[in-house]
Amino acid sequence: MTGWHLDDDTLRSYVERTDSLAEGTSVEQHLLSCEPCRGRVNAAASVIELSVIDLAAVWDRTRDTLEVPRPSVFERLLRVAGLPAHEARLVAVASAFRGVWLVGVAAILAFAALAAAVGHARGLWPFLAVAPIMPCLVVASSYDPWLDSALEPEIVTPYPALRLILLRTIAVLALALPAVLLFGLVVPGETAFAWLLPAVGFVAVVLAASTWVSPLRAAIAVSSIWVGVVWLLAARSGSPDAVLQARTQAGFLALAAASFVIFLLRRRWLCQLRPWR
Amino acid sequence: MDSRPGDETLLLAVAERDMGAFHTLYERHAGWLAIRLARRCNDRDLVADAIQDTFVAVWQRPQGFRGDGDIAAWLWGIAIRRLVSRLRTRSSVAAVFENARAAPAAEDQVLLSVEYGDIGQALARLSPEMRAVIQAVVLDGLSAREAAQLLHVPVSSVKTRLYRAKAHLRAALAEGPS
Repeated sequence: MTGWHLDDDTLRSYVERTDSLAEGTSVEQHLLSCEPCRGRVNAAASVIELSVIDLAAVWDRTRDTLEVPRPSVFERLLRVAGLPAHEARLVAVASAFRGVWLVGVAAILAFAALAAAVGHARGLWPFLAVAPIMPCLVVASSYDPWLDSALEPEIVTPYPALRLILLRTIAVLALALPAVLLFGLVVPGETAFAWLLPAVGFVAVVLAASTWVSPLRAAIAVSSIWVGVVWLLAARSGSPDAVLQARTQAGFLALAAASFVIFLLRRRWLCQLRPWR
Repeated sequence: MDSRPGDETLLLAVAERDMGAFHTLYERHAGWLAIRLARRCNDRDLVADAIQDTFVAVWQRPQGFRGDGDIAAWLWGIAIRRLVSRLRTRSSVAAVFENARAAPAAEDQVLLSVEYGDIGQALARLSPEMRAVIQAVVLDGLSAREAAQLLHVPVSSVKTRLYRAKAHLRAALAEGPS
């Protein structure tokens, strides 16, 4: 701190921005090292109408930001991917993204893949039964009001439910599919990838069915039917991969397309908008 | 006055998660930072956001200050970069260096030439674009890339404008006052 300080005129013209670049620069250089003059600038700024930045409000916001927990890794990832902050939060609060869920899903898949790798032909059917239904179960759980406590505020939030559900579905699939694919690599044969179309089909069915019933119920129904079919085939012929032949694959594709169309047509009746208990 | 804790003391307290000290630090620095930022960006909301980001960063990493130089200078370094990164995420906002201010009155110009001599006049004669680049790169110490983001121009333009502005100033100073 030198004995030299800004005179009042210079200070005022700095705050009012009526000074030149050279003057302003000189003032700014002095301010960096002179606490009394900084105080005078602060005081002048609060008086002069020109700088209408509500610093008290900014302080409140700053404190609020510090007091809320930091966003999860996944939420920050979504933001990096270009999603606005509030949407990233909405997508990320889905229960499917809580660590426990992911660990559970991974564990089930690991067991199924292990059984398939060890048991070969006989062991193939657990993987076949589990892998295609996993994405649709995860998707259903990501927006089922019964599982997801965050949906309570969402129901009263004016936000396009369709957009939310699609965003979440994409996010869930982005997480679930690589996991299922990874375990699929352990399984011998082409079956490892053949379940992809049925998986997509089931997700679409769950989305469409959720315009009538709870998404979770829809997912459970779809899963039960699928497991039943695979089990029956395994019991009868011993080769459950019959469900994944080229002809049936086309069927799954049609199923996915039809369900998705239904979902889009009936999007106004999404169960999410009418919470049931 | 002398019994008030210095900025360094406050920053140490902030590192100990002392919200009161943090608030004092905010009261002491937010004002002049806002004014200085507002001279670089016309959008007040953006400036407010940059101030918020700055203090959030201070709270999260108070140890970022290494104890050399003034805390005020350290804060400014954070603040101007936060402003730049805010501008980058909101490319639709046309935030440019304010140069809409009226041309200095005759008396002021006399005052200027007395106070700052040739350099002040030479700066005043630069085009607004060149002044903005000089301010961002030479005076605020931003990199060419950061300056480009702040000014919404390509990096190459920052470099050429800086080069021309320097040549301009050199010539003006060599020539002497006109």
